[in-house]
Amino acid sequence: MSQPFIPARRRILTAAASSAALGTSVGYIGAAFAQPKDFKIGFFIALSGPASLFGPTQRACADLAAEKINKAGGIMGRPVKLIFTDAGGPPAETAKSAVRLMLEDKVDLFIGSHDSATREANIATIKGKTPYIYSPVYEGGECSPNVYCLGETPPQQAQPGTEFLAKEKNAKTFYLIGDDYVWPHKSNEQIKKYVAQYGGKVVGEEYVPFGAPNKFEEAVTRIKGVKPDAVICTLVGADNVNFNRTFAGFGLDKTIARLSMLLEENTLMGIGAENSANLYSCMGYFANGPSEVSKAFKAEYMARYGAKAPQLATIGADCYSALNLAKAMFDKAGANDMKKLTAASEGLSFDTASARVTMHGRQVDKDMYLASCKGTEFEVFKTIKAVKSGTACRA
Amino acid sequence: MEVFVAQALNALFGIASLAIVALGLAVVLGLLGVLNLAHGELVMIGAYCAWVAQANGWPYLAAVPLAIGVCGVLGYAVERWLVRPLYQRPFDTLVVTWGLSLLLRKCAEAIFGLGYKSLHEPIGGTVDVLGATYPRYRLVLIAVSVAVLGGLVLWYARSRTGTRIKAMVGNPDLARALGIPVARYASSTFVVGTCLAGLGGVLIAPLVPVQPFMGLDHILMSFFVLVVGGLGSVGGLLTGSTLIGGANSVVSALSDSTGGYFSVLALAILFLWLKPRGIHAR
Repeated sequence: MSQPFIPARRRILTAAASSAALGTSVGYIGAAFAQPKDFKIGFFIALSGPASLFGPTQRACADLAAEKINKAGGIMGRPVKLIFTDAGGPPAETAKSAVRLMLEDKVDLFIGSHDSATREANIATIKGKTPYIYSPVYEGGECSPNVYCLGETPPQQAQPGTEFLAKEKNAKTFYLIGDDYVWPHKSNEQIKKYVAQYGGKVVGEEYVPFGAPNKFEEAVTRIKGVKPDAVICTLVGADNVNFNRTFAGFGLDKTIARLSMLLEENTLMGIGAENSANLYSCMGYFANGPSEVSKAFKAEYMARYGAKAPQLATIGADCYSALNLAKAMFDKAGANDMKKLTAASEGLSFDTASARVTMHGRQVDKDMYLASCKGTEFEVFKTIKAVKSGTACRA
Repeated sequence: MEVFVAQALNALFGIASLAIVALGLAVVLGLLGVLNLAHGELVMIGAYCAWVAQANGWPYLAAVPLAIGVCGVLGYAVERWLVRPLYQRPFDTLVVTWGLSLLLRKCAEAIFGLGYKSLHEPIGGTVDVLGATYPRYRLVLIAVSVAVLGGLVLWYARSRTGTRIKAMVGNPDLARALGIPVARYASSTFVVGTCLAGLGGVLIAPLVPVQPFMGLDHILMSFFVLVVGGLGSVGGLLTGSTLIGGANSVVSALSDSTGGYFSVLALAILFLWLKPRGIHAR
């Protein structure tokens, strides 16, 4: 105990005072050089957990967009700085990171490419104080203040998908299988509406526990007994791979058409060439999509990252789109203010990774693509122009 | 009738695939008292070995020695340097093997990436069984699982090594006094466990998405098997697999997967609560 005793309170006061002095002087030097402050974006992507499969693509696409924006003068004249933050853990953990990003990093904007449960936790934490762009495919209906959604909604996927099965595949009976959480349930609500509209019938609907070690032999055998004309699948990730492999393993791929609502390049790779016959997908982006915008984006992406580029897919490309929206919206609004941003977003046109789109009611009306699987590649055979999101948030 | 036969085969397949994956864990936990939380990751490594074999155009059977080799070497190293200093310290081995599972997952991620690898079934197509068309590979898997389990039971019951292992498990000090090299037997037993995990991985690889996280699914179900069946006997493993795998399959067939998974969890909780040593308590 050689140190002199200093009351804790005084020590804290001294520390606070000196750091405050330091803070002002640093701020003063900064102001003297008049450098524009970075436009900081808290960027939520999965860096851990199973969804981190998409992480490298998300990062590469976001970096590409940020570099382009910075070359073009940044957002509102300020250089963009991305702060990638993990959203692969439990939603509450991600929400804690959101608090840190708001208080410590003082981010100007959040962008999120992650699941809906995390979005809800984030929104409950951020409370509209910082604008939030949510980019991936989702269940629709998100109208919290200062939140802007980019992803495909169930009406956008279900309508063209069901119509295709009913009219071109002559499907009369449909079987629905999905993971047991909000997105599959909301999607199936829409699908059932369209099945009825096209004179079809839903002959079975089942859900498997989300995140459990699922196996699909029993479900596939059940489907075989029911003999539907088509199966619409709202399973995600490994469950989607597992189901489709089992389905084809039992030989059902020859007689029953399958439409998967979240089938992108990585998942198809897992399903494998010999299990992908008679399998279809309906999304707003495919890596080999036919539009000029998506070809240009892909060329730019490949030029930037070369042969080792992470696989392009809808989750990832959405990050690029989100930054384009951010630039267009903030530049038009001219200030980081909820009312101005909301007003600026209405009727705003900007480029996504696949096409030029327009935002209405803080959602995006977009072109949808129907693709069939040829081995482990998609072949887009139909484009449906400017499909409405079905959600219109009040200004 | 057709659906009934197919669902019965599904139950059989559920039990067999569970038993073959849980076997390695049962050996290590039952005989050495080490709960190897990295067991699922060894299954994952076995599955990646199968993928490597297939990607290189080798015959599928080449995956078996490859997986056994890789998992055997890994098992030896893990036993020698991680587990051996911690025998009789169950909680510490739990933490060590948990850390190992994280490390192995990250290694797989670094080598193979996070993407799903897909293998084509070495024996494809379907066959007619009593009017039900059933995938051929799944039937082969059932047969192989029965053969491996049967072989292991016979060997353990009849061979001198089996008897010595029993002596080691029953009373290590006395076994050592009788000149049985206990440390070496413990090491071999651990290696056999990890090799069996690798073999399980090779067998299930063509049916599931192969990815670094796949081990998590298998460790959970395998653990439930041991909770229900009890430790240290093949009878326990079989009973556990039959109850857990059977309940999962039958309830999934009658209602849906949520029901199936619920029945598995309910069974595991009931056993931990009312019969914590399982059915075949040693």
